[in-house]
Amino acid sequence: MALTVKPAVAGAAGIAVALAIWQAASSAHAAGGSLPAVATVATDLGGLLAEPDFWSAVGATVGIALLGLGASAAAGIVVGVLVGSFEPIRFATRAVLEFLKPIPPIVILPLVVLILGPTGQMSWFLVFLGCLLPIVMQTVDGVHSTDPVARDTARSYGMGSAEILARIVVPSSLPYIGTAMRVSAPAALIITVVAGLLGGGPGLGARLYLAQSGGDYPTLYALVIVLGVLGLMFQGATRFAERRLLHWHESYREVVHS
Amino acid sequence: MTSPHLATTPLEGSLGGEPQGQRPARLDVVHLAKSYGTGDGAKKVIEDLTFSVSAREIVCIVGPSGIGKTTLLKCLAGLQPTSGGRAAIDGREISGPPPEMALVFQDYSRSLMPWLTVRKNVVLPLRHLRLPKAELKARCDEALEAVGLAHAENQFPWQLSGGMQQRVAIARALAYRPEILIMDEPFASVDAQTRFDLEDLCLKIREGFGMTILVVTHDIDEAVYLADRVVVLGSKPARVLRIVDVELPSPRDQIGTRALPEFAAQRTDVLSLIKRPA
Amino acid sequence: MSKRPSLKSVRLWLLGVGTPLVLLAVWWFASADSTDTFFPPLAEILDRFRALWLFDHFTSDVLVSLRNLALGYAIAGVAAVAVGFVTALSAPIRWAVDPVIHFLRGIPPVALVPIFISLMGFGLEMRITSIALAAFFPTFIATVDGLRAVDRGLLDVASVYRLSRGERVVSVLLPAAGPQIFSGLQVSLQTAFVVMIASEMLGPSQGIGAMTLLAQQSFMISDMWSGILLLGVIGFAANFLFDLVRRKVLAWYIGSRRLARAS
Repeated sequence: MALTVKPAVAGAAGIAVALAIWQAASSAHAAGGSLPAVATVATDLGGLLAEPDFWSAVGATVGIALLGLGASAAAGIVVGVLVGSFEPIRFATRAVLEFLKPIPPIVILPLVVLILGPTGQMSWFLVFLGCLLPIVMQTVDGVHSTDPVARDTARSYGMGSAEILARIVVPSSLPYIGTAMRVSAPAALIITVVAGLLGGGPGLGARLYLAQSGGDYPTLYALVIVLGVLGLMFQGATRFAERRLLHWHESYREVVHS
Repeated sequence: MTSPHLATTPLEGSLGGEPQGQRPARLDVVHLAKSYGTGDGAKKVIEDLTFSVSAREIVCIVGPSGIGKTTLLKCLAGLQPTSGGRAAIDGREISGPPPEMALVFQDYSRSLMPWLTVRKNVVLPLRHLRLPKAELKARCDEALEAVGLAHAENQFPWQLSGGMQQRVAIARALAYRPEILIMDEPFASVDAQTRFDLEDLCLKIREGFGMTILVVTHDIDEAVYLADRVVVLGSKPARVLRIVDVELPSPRDQIGTRALPEFAAQRTDVLSLIKRPA
Repeated sequence: MSKRPSLKSVRLWLLGVGTPLVLLAVWWFASADSTDTFFPPLAEILDRFRALWLFDHFTSDVLVSLRNLALGYAIAGVAAVAVGFVTALSAPIRWAVDPVIHFLRGIPPVALVPIFISLMGFGLEMRITSIALAAFFPTFIATVDGLRAVDRGLLDVASVYRLSRGERVVSVLLPAAGPQIFSGLQVSLQTAFVVMIASEMLGPSQGIGAMTLLAQQSFMISDMWSGILLLGVIGFAANFLFDLVRRKVLAWYIGSRRLARAS
């Protein structure tokens, strides 16, 4: 027990020190007084939490992120299975996918804003695009790495292609898809915020922009804190879901216990 | 592919007759005890071990698996503190990794640096000794030659077979020029033929490099074949059951020695000690 | 792959090289006579690309962006590995910073940009600091995780052979954690790139991101497209260079993994 208490104490001390540094910097009027005091931000955060508008912004942000993620998961898995199942398609798309993968969706934001305007659709579309490639590529890898012995065994038992796909290929790609989802879920939230901040899409990103351009610094900090909590929740939720859904899988077990 | 190398390696010759600044040392273990935790919850792993290894002697420790042989070695190597008694090299108590000792670990895959080539693995422990370049190279060449791996010096450990990897670990220990070499089940995870080769390598090292060697093993045949004396451990907590003097002629040889009736008698002796219910 | 190139593998390779070329050709010809406001001809985009980025704005914007990216990323990488070492090797420090770090990690990196604008204005310092701080966390966390996962056996070897503290860090810990540190550095590079663009788009200042957004707002569509193209190429090229370095430094790791998988 002594061991579990100590890190908690140290952690609490760490948080206290961080807050103290913040407070000291703010009192010292560092950065021309643009750093609000801890208490001011806390009060502002309290005010935000009582505001229905704030909650609808949270709802919009989470909703857009989840809808975009869901759509790209559905499309990405289908495309990934298709691309992974046919070798010529896999080779034909590989260079293109490898080129596009390291390019973040923020690059194409000006174009998407131009066409769709500062709307929820615009944010959704960016999330969709941003999460699509990692999911497609991981699914392709998963399908490609399906144990050929399992596949041959299934064929020798007289399973048809569709049945092999459903019973062998897709289940064995699930850990890959799980990894892609774990990476994509926090990314979906980040892209939603980017789309709001830079493209004017609805949600917390747009409020962040308003707070910054309007010089409302306490709200700016309060919103960033809210985003931090949301980010942690997204990360935690996906990790939890992955563990619950994929605990049976061998490669996942290896990862967990190593 | 390895045995001809081993057979033709002139170990004594390669030493060149120069003084090596090293002489075999004596290891004494007196009433050594080790437990984990403190108070009532303490778990006794070793209770009151006493034995010694004379200079240039090979002593094997045998005992059932899981009785804390590795813990004992970690105490002797100064990696873990003891909870009672003492271990000393030539009378100097061991309180941290002693400079005159080298250790060959059981799991070669976790004891060689996978990012270093064979030669660089061997050189790694020598760098802080600040030897002249020529001497460094000579030591490394000699050690690799001794284990028959001169041809593989630029390969990475993971490109080699298990037996070869363990020989890299042995070469690293040799180049370090320890007075005492300790091996923890060094040949447990290699195939039978390689095992024989490595056992003979171990005997040659004692002759050629004049080292004091302590080997932990669970293989009774191996212990009898290698050792001048065998320390038989009993379990839970570990204690010395008996110390058996092995009276077999030298030089030993895998076929001849193992065929001797004395060999059979000695191994039966040790085996019956271990198998007998305590 | 098979040892000698069969007809099939040659065909697949051609498919891999050919498809991007075909797609570019399709774009070129399909857009050649385009009058669509949003999708100007590729020829025009490339024309603007050359005029804008290779001449007019090369030193004033392209170089500035790239320098900010390189500087911010380098600061982040060095600081993250160094602080990661200190944190991983001392349990009390690790316990103390863990909650704070994990909270900061949850914040979308781009959300830090408005805060730095409020603190430092729109200048270069703001942009480099934003990039450096946002890119710090992925590498820092990977370094700590990587160091904590270093095999006990290797550390025992280091102790038995009495390696000095410096040797232990340079010859054992750093390479052993290398694979994890590099995957952290790769995420950091992506983050740095995104924050570079965001910091330019949010401030009315110079840089490729700012110019691209400005082109969009003033409805100079071909200019905007050329900016998107340039950013895409930079994103790809940065990652490509990173991968080259990674392959060189981690050759031992990549090789051993390939061997383990083959057996």
